[in-house]
Amino acid sequence: MTEKQSGQKLISLTIDGKTVRVPEGTTIWEAAREAGIDIPVLCHSPRMEPVGVCRICVVEIGERVLAASCVRKCEEGMQVQADSDDIQQHRKMLTALLLSDYPQQSAREESTGDDELLALARDYGITELTFPDGAAGPEGRGTDGSSPVIAVDHQACILCDRCIRACDDIQHNDVIGRTGKGYQARIAFDLNTPMGESSCVACGECMAVCPTGALTNKSVAGLKIVVT
Amino acid sequence: MELLNKMMELQEADGSVSDAALHKLSKETGTPLYRLEGLRGFYPVFRAHPAPKTHVRVCRDISCAMRGGNSFCRDVASALSGVADVEVEEASCLGRCDTAPAATVNEIPVSGSVEEIRAYAQGETPLPPDEPKAAPAKWPTDPYEDAAHHYGTLKSLLSAGEEKKQEVVETLKASGLRGMGGAGFPTGMKWDFTAKARGEPKYVVCNADESEPGTFKDRLILEELPHLMIEAMVIAGWIIGAAEGVIYLRHEYGKERKALTHAIDQARATGALGVSVFGADFAFELRVFISPGGYILGEETAMLEALEDKRGEPRNKPPFPTNAGLWGKPTLINNVETFAAVPVILSRGAQWWEAQGAGDCKGLKFLAVSGDVEQPGVYCVPMGTTINELLERCGGVPEGKALAAFAPGGASSNFLPAAKGDVALDFQALQDAGSMLGSGAVIYVADGRDLVELASNVVRFFRNESCGKCVPCRVGSAKAVDMLETALAGNPQQNLIPLLQEMGDTLAKTSICGLGQVALAPVLSVIENFSEAAAARLGGSNGGRKP
Ligand SMILES: Cc1cc2nc3c(=O)[nH]c(=O)nc-3n(C[C@H](O)[C@H](O)[C@H](O)COP(=O)(O)O)c2cc1C
Ligand code: SF4
Ligand code: FES
Repeated sequence: MTEKQSGQKLISLTIDGKTVRVPEGTTIWEAAREAGIDIPVLCHSPRMEPVGVCRICVVEIGERVLAASCVRKCEEGMQVQADSDDIQQHRKMLTALLLSDYPQQSAREESTGDDELLALARDYGITELTFPDGAAGPEGRGTDGSSPVIAVDHQACILCDRCIRACDDIQHNDVIGRTGKGYQARIAFDLNTPMGESSCVACGECMAVCPTGALTNKSVAGLKIVVT
Repeated sequence: MELLNKMMELQEADGSVSDAALHKLSKETGTPLYRLEGLRGFYPVFRAHPAPKTHVRVCRDISCAMRGGNSFCRDVASALSGVADVEVEEASCLGRCDTAPAATVNEIPVSGSVEEIRAYAQGETPLPPDEPKAAPAKWPTDPYEDAAHHYGTLKSLLSAGEEKKQEVVETLKASGLRGMGGAGFPTGMKWDFTAKARGEPKYVVCNADESEPGTFKDRLILEELPHLMIEAMVIAGWIIGAAEGVIYLRHEYGKERKALTHAIDQARATGALGVSVFGADFAFELRVFISPGGYILGEETAMLEALEDKRGEPRNKPPFPTNAGLWGKPTLINNVETFAAVPVILSRGAQWWEAQGAGDCKGLKFLAVSGDVEQPGVYCVPMGTTINELLERCGGVPEGKALAAFAPGGASSNFLPAAKGDVALDFQALQDAGSMLGSGAVIYVADGRDLVELASNVVRFFRNESCGKCVPCRVGSAKAVDMLETALAGNPQQNLIPLLQEMGDTLAKTSICGLGQVALAPVLSVIENFSEAAAARLGGSNGGRKP
């Protein structure tokens, strides 16, 4: 735990049967990583404060509901189950729900090939849509090509909050937020203006952290990377 | 509170919160534009463009749909279509299910047929008076003979002094009082935790955001017994060491707000609020915060976010509000009815309270009754009264019909069959029966109703009111509504029932808050308890029509 100050109280817990000792304040996800146990994430990035919204990282800790390991702090004596058939099933269901609103083509997958949602879909072997297709038809969330640098595909946005934290908490540019509510919620720039007309300075941090095809680099998007 | 209050003032003054107004507010307060947009886009009271002169809101939720029919909102809209300067909007439960179908015209509650509502909207019928009752009824949880004796419990506690504090907590624990807002957490324990929590200052918050379909019991307490709630908040402040209290009130409760504000003024005049409560070395002030709207704000951590001028999205827990609540400080949050029960318990004792219950159950319970009953309304009954007994008190099912089903604890509680009508209205008994006491709202359903349609109405409510923060609830509730609507239109997709069950499981286990966790529960309870009716509408236990 390099980022944690030394001299902090250590606590111990087990993750998938392994005993782990970590400084107080460590999250379950961080502790698991220390122990070499990989818990999948979508909204979380180790560079940011966790928000726990995608719920892909859920683990069993013997409570009424599962806990999001990216935000949940370790507690003394905790017994964490990071993997089981049930947990896999929930992660697969969450992925399938997001995929049902995903556009046919992801600008990230097409260019740099590192779309994290599509990677999860492959991991869980999801090949067809289980739910009504939310990306087809006229009610789609649309695209925004107004920025000279960044391509916005609202339909590919999974509201992971990464770009928002990058723009507001890391860069302090204070441009991106969420507007709307519920299923109508979406990312917005300033007072919900097109990105190119907003106070965006095109620093590129948002597209660097975006896990999907929602925010991508215009000069790269459109180029096809050919894997040989 | 400051920022949202400013935005609500703008909305009130201009009929909208325009881009220009937000640019100005951003400069004045140093708030980034994205945050202001986040608030404007989240809270339903804010409009980017002004409303027309007459604004009609019609409730679309379960109790009103049962009385007015599924097309009620559309019928009101078409009766007023083409009328200049009138707008008709579908609204979530307005908390007036006793007068279903409920609507408001420029925020004034009305009810009646499509024709009657049209006449109100066009000014042909004058709007009803919007004043609280002048002479409220005498309720059994009010220990006071008359207004002159109000706040007597607080006064005698303060004069008895410090050593009474632990006794108050012990009395509440012994009384068995549990949270009446939905979760049923033991109240004495919550007061104890907050009293012992470290951090300054501490806060007392009253949850008066009551918005779950079928639920309107807090509305009655706010109108008729506000002094009990205020007194308990001051006592709570004294016990936990807080000097400030906030009442979070839903904005649709207009006349209740008047009654509440009047009671607060009276409390101040009596000496029950202020820099030295009844002359003691203890200061306590109360303020009312009007919610900018949305059922999710009733979830206690979403409420705290709203009080901190943020989008009302529930927090990941722990930490819990008792340790880290408003502005990260220890905060005691109780429901209106929970607070209002405290004075009578402290003045008459835990044993008196216990003895008010039926059988092994403890205390008194306010219940909002709606749906297929002769006399919908709020009833204060012994905890443990059965569903059938309550139905009898409410005059039974109209037109001599038989009871088919009931939801005992608001829209989020599971539907149970009439055969379970002898179940006691009590936390444990209802949980054992496969449902819950929840928000204290009993919805009776007569024979001949389409239960799948009613349950789908409730799922739609949760979809509409989801905050959108977490994936399972935001996307899951929307997909479930799509699939249910297709099924109700006669084309259930294949394997719909098992798919709904699987989704329901994921929503229950992975959603951040109680909304997503129960969003599919009503429809799953119909699938479980009324399997034939469910199969007829949703396509059999293996689902769907053969391809
Ligand atoms: C979606 C949702 C909505 C809620 N709405 C309310 C409400 O309107 N009023 C209320 O008192 N509690 C509501 N609650 C419960 C509160 O979160 C909290 O448990 C309660 O206010 C605590 O007070 P109590 O212990 O006195 O019940 C809601 C919970 C959820 C998950
Ligand atoms: S469960 Fe629903 S209402 Fe609760 S935090 Fe998640 S999206 Fe918001
Ligand atoms: S990675 Fe934990 S909730 Fe998204």
